[in-house]
Amino acid sequence: MEILDAIRANLLSPAVLFFALGLIAALTKSDLKFPEPLYIGLTIYLLVAIGFKGGVAIAEAGIAKVWLPALATMGLGALIPLWTYPLLRFGGKLSAVDAAAIAAHYGSVSAVTFIAATNYLTAIDQPFDAATNYLTAIDQPFESYATAFLAVMESPAILVGVVLGKLATKQAGADSGASLKTAMHEALFGRSIFLLVGALVVGALCGEAGMRKVEPFFVTPFQGVLTLFLLEMGLVAGRRLGDLKRVGPFLLGFGIIVPLVNGALGVYLGKVTGLELGGATLLGALSASASYIAAPAAIRMSLPDANPTLYLTSSLAITFPFNITLGIPLYLEIARRLYS
Amino acid sequence: MNLHPMKLVTIVCEAYAKDAVTKLLHEVGAHGHTLFPVEGDGSRGQRPGDIPEFANIQIEVIVRPETADHLLQKLGQDFFPRYAMVAFESDVRVLRKDKF
Repeated sequence: MEILDAIRANLLSPAVLFFALGLIAALTKSDLKFPEPLYIGLTIYLLVAIGFKGGVAIAEAGIAKVWLPALATMGLGALIPLWTYPLLRFGGKLSAVDAAAIAAHYGSVSAVTFIAATNYLTAIDQPFDAATNYLTAIDQPFESYATAFLAVMESPAILVGVVLGKLATKQAGADSGASLKTAMHEALFGRSIFLLVGALVVGALCGEAGMRKVEPFFVTPFQGVLTLFLLEMGLVAGRRLGDLKRVGPFLLGFGIIVPLVNGALGVYLGKVTGLELGGATLLGALSASASYIAAPAAIRMSLPDANPTLYLTSSLAITFPFNITLGIPLYLEIARRLYS
Repeated sequence: MNLHPMKLVTIVCEAYAKDAVTKLLHEVGAHGHTLFPVEGDGSRGQRPGDIPEFANIQIEVIVRPETADHLLQKLGQDFFPRYAMVAFESDVRVLRKDKF
């Protein structure tokens, strides 16, 4: 079965295994811990590396190829909260402000999920044991400029979610928290989006010549850094697992089904806007992912009455682990079927 | 030495509340504050502090007694229901009264 092989190749990659190790460390209450500066350092490295690489790819492909799928991605990001909000509000019987907050998280994106997806597609030169058929190399080419889609998909959903939440609280006569302007500033100039867009622009200006200069630092060690970072993400997600019983069965199902639907939508959108199979898979992973850094920061400020346990647990303890273990191979499989 | 009585207000809260709290400090007329990241646990769970956004911060501010009352009242009214937060005041004495 091709799909089982694809999942196995993902589960046995160093990044995902270290993620599992982090989960185990958190569950067994090991004293393993990353200091804050290391966490920040690793995120800066990953965002700059992926942004720079994406920028160089934009310079090569030309903006004419990028703008249509990028615009479509932005649109999808803004639309996802509009269909998840009523689902949460009326299907899940959540309060309006909680529904708006969760909807914003699922429309926005997780950069690490995207990076893990690119990593999965580039599984390079894995030792292939024909006897056990153990590690299957995926090696699916994709458009490196897909990083631009990551950059444009982060903010629109946050803004839509905040507007939905504000409308709901205004109706109830209990508006509180910072203005939409504050959320907009956080969504557009928060450190992750700022760094990512900045690195994209720098990469686009430098082009291939610039890439050759920084390649030994930003490309070769990339997989190792990502592996280390996923160990930390395992710790972070693992600490949230205890909250699972507080979010209820609806959000548990929501955190898995909604990414699958959004993932399929993303893959489809990739196909109709002319991406290759690999690029469409990445767009699927992006659409399926839920934000857990940028969106919580903006939502906590603008919609302080929304319960953070609900949105953080569902995006961090349900959707993120699902996507990086089973989700990504499934989006590849969806893409393969759609393109065949 | 001529020391003047003042109030030290200490606020320990989730890092997400930072901007809202510092804005409030300006509104009530505090002239400055000190902020540092801290760790610990409380009724809203553990705050281990590796991701700055998920961490706890402590904000300390020295103000006149009437400002401290006003500040704590505002915190109790608008912030305690929404954010993971504790706040308390203590007596301190300062050298330069006009600075606060």
